[in-house]
Amino acid sequence: MPDGGWFGYQPNAGPFYSPGTAMDYWALGVQFLGLASLISSVNFIVTIFNMRALGMRLLRMPVFVWMSLVVALLLLFSLPIIAIALFMVTFDRQFGSLFFVAEAGGDPILWQHLFWLFGHPEVYILILPAMGIVSEVLPVYSKKPLFGYPAVVFAGAAIAFLGFGVWAHHMFASGISPVAQAAFGLSTMTIAVPTGVKIFNWMGTMWGGRIKFTTPMLFAIGFVAMFVIGGLSGVTHAVVPSDWQQTDTYYIVAHFHYVLFGGSVFGIFAGLYYWFPKMTGRLLSEKLGKLNFWTMFTGFNLTFAPMHWLGLQGMVRRTAYYPPEAGFDFWNLVATVGAFIIAAGVLIFMFNWWRSKKHGEPSGMDPWDARTVEWTTPNPTPEYNFGVAPTVTSLDDFWHKKYAEDSEGRPVRRPEAENTLTDLMETGINPPHPIHLPAPSYYPVLLAAGIPLVGWGIIYHTSFVGKLLILVGVLVVASAAFGWSMEPLEEPHDEHDDSEPSGGGYPSAEVDA
Amino acid sequence: MEAAAAMDHHDQHESTGIDHRKLGMWVFLSSEFLFFGALITNYLLYQGQPGFARPYPAEIYDIPFTSFSSFALLMSSLTMVLAHNALARHDQHATRTWLLATAMLGSVFLGGQVFEFTEFITVGGMKLTTNPAASAFYMLTGFHGFHVLLGVLMLLTLYGISRRQGELSEASGLNLELVGLYWHFVDIIWIVIFTVVYLLASVPAGVG
Amino acid sequence: MATHSGEHHHPTPLQYVKIAILLAVLTIIEVALFYVNEAADMGGWDAPLLIILALFKFVIVVGWYMHLRFEDSALSKFFTAGFILALILYAIVLLAFGVIALGG
Ligand SMILES: [Cu+2]
Repeated sequence: MPDGGWFGYQPNAGPFYSPGTAMDYWALGVQFLGLASLISSVNFIVTIFNMRALGMRLLRMPVFVWMSLVVALLLLFSLPIIAIALFMVTFDRQFGSLFFVAEAGGDPILWQHLFWLFGHPEVYILILPAMGIVSEVLPVYSKKPLFGYPAVVFAGAAIAFLGFGVWAHHMFASGISPVAQAAFGLSTMTIAVPTGVKIFNWMGTMWGGRIKFTTPMLFAIGFVAMFVIGGLSGVTHAVVPSDWQQTDTYYIVAHFHYVLFGGSVFGIFAGLYYWFPKMTGRLLSEKLGKLNFWTMFTGFNLTFAPMHWLGLQGMVRRTAYYPPEAGFDFWNLVATVGAFIIAAGVLIFMFNWWRSKKHGEPSGMDPWDARTVEWTTPNPTPEYNFGVAPTVTSLDDFWHKKYAEDSEGRPVRRPEAENTLTDLMETGINPPHPIHLPAPSYYPVLLAAGIPLVGWGIIYHTSFVGKLLILVGVLVVASAAFGWSMEPLEEPHDEHDDSEPSGGGYPSAEVDA
Repeated sequence: MEAAAAMDHHDQHESTGIDHRKLGMWVFLSSEFLFFGALITNYLLYQGQPGFARPYPAEIYDIPFTSFSSFALLMSSLTMVLAHNALARHDQHATRTWLLATAMLGSVFLGGQVFEFTEFITVGGMKLTTNPAASAFYMLTGFHGFHVLLGVLMLLTLYGISRRQGELSEASGLNLELVGLYWHFVDIIWIVIFTVVYLLASVPAGVG
Repeated sequence: MATHSGEHHHPTPLQYVKIAILLAVLTIIEVALFYVNEAADMGGWDAPLLIILALFKFVIVVGWYMHLRFEDSALSKFFTAGFILALILYAIVLLAFGVIALGG
């Protein structure tokens, strides 16, 4: 019998039905990932609130930064929940506690609540950054500002907030009360409202724009289209009776791939093509890029569209064998072919990346005629980011440095735009003042290395080696934490040659004062 | 300092006016509510379920003893804040004394918890594996105890730094404030646990 | 970076001690209430009273010992957000399990 899956439903993932160590590795592995994400989320929140450029008010921040902030908040408040749930699993499996052991009175449904209390915010953690990327890409290639910027920002925040109140829509088939089903069905449907706001704003951004169908733009438009399909099928699971038909069928698989692959993954690809110059100073090949997009787009729809009807015909998930009489064969064959086409698309992308890194066309500073401040640094970005900390005076600050408006509101390139760019390039490459980066440290790496030792120790804690691993791991973590806390926060100044920037390898704006 | 003067334009600033690390600590603490909330929810769910193997945690609580150790933790918040206050007045000696006092009160609480667990297991006959309510009780109070232990270690580290350097510098002063925030937070979580888990404990009808 | 700016707003050691005495008294009342309820059933009044007392202690420690009432309001917003969110989410979970019930 197979072990529990990624969702760890109890008691299937418990010690009785999943003996062996697989689920232990899963529970502790996700636990440590969660710890890392939690710490990063604190870092992101503090960075975004506290280290903005001068004049960068909250409602002047790029939407991608906004969505990163919202995602960090989601992580901050949802990860502790899954941390406890995973500890309960580990305790049940390793130390004999009885949280989910029904024979002893434990309640497996508690796992579902805690898992989805985290799990639903998690799906917004996956989609909101992509929404942020698309909100950056669409305006640039439409040559128009984002339509309804404040609405897009508030809709993102609203999605996150509402996203905490809908978790039980994953549990309609688990026997929760009719009142709970109705309440969670309704709350789930309300999320469609801010999501719809975003879709309309993206379309409004493109409307009447001078659209350039570059690869990032294709992926961004693909995102909007596929996400609408996935969003609509999502609303159909919010309707409880219809969800009972769909639960645990391939219709669900189709839905979440339309939002996570057609959505998140396409958004990430848009971002990779868009920001590749910032990483390398070169452009990815547009020819290969378009081939990449159309292959992935075709393969994606061939793979996942048939799953809608397969699911509605009753093809259930997590099943090893389907008899031919069930009639699922043809569309499964189509889906398999589609999956190979997706793989081909990804291979094209990898080839494009590998080749363009060395041989791609040099991008210069502003290859896309972009709108936001990150394009005011040279490409690739120096490790200190900005040679001179920028001062921001408006939304889309960089754009307004390059363009004025004529009497009818059309953008007109300022005559001094080229000089502005040259100046920015110059101060970016040769900062007029020395920049101090924080001192690098080995202790965080050492500390992180100690944590899996403790994890392995816990999994094999009944043996001598396990106990030893726990002790060694704790010792490593403790001494690394101690060494880290003893390190001076700031690098001593006299170690610097102040005539040139020190390359600490930290792309941080933090400087010694 | 020459370099610092040259970098006025590029100074490290806080857009909100709150120190980075202090903001980070408060942000982190706000997420800890969800952490302990889940543990308390587990306990509340299981403590009142009928039909478990006996004993239920509430059957074997020793309220006078727990009141005593809770009191020690509560008073450690006073010594913590006095340490912070002493450092602000640049009274290094008093700072050290109050730090040590806080760590000691924290250790009294931890010792109390070790004693309580031992009593519950050996005399009360309630182990982690006895029933889900017992599992929830040990996990909740255990994780809280782990937080206290981390706090004690951080306090002792500050004490050690102060002893070795003869004083706590301005930078360590912020560290002391951050450790203090963490320490008080662990205390307020115990204020909730003491009331909800101990004083308001209930057993299902027909038990006890 | 001046980390102790605004220190003069903070209470004096004497005030801290007075606050501790208040906390101690509240704790004694809590334990006393527990025993009163043991001796003569208070008809369910012990729970709201004890929770109010605990919240009172909670607010005192956060406001004065953690200095939250002297800090930038952004910090209290964050802190309250975490607290309220936890309260609401876990209350819904306990409602779903029937551990707490609306309308008795
Ligand atoms: Cu969901």
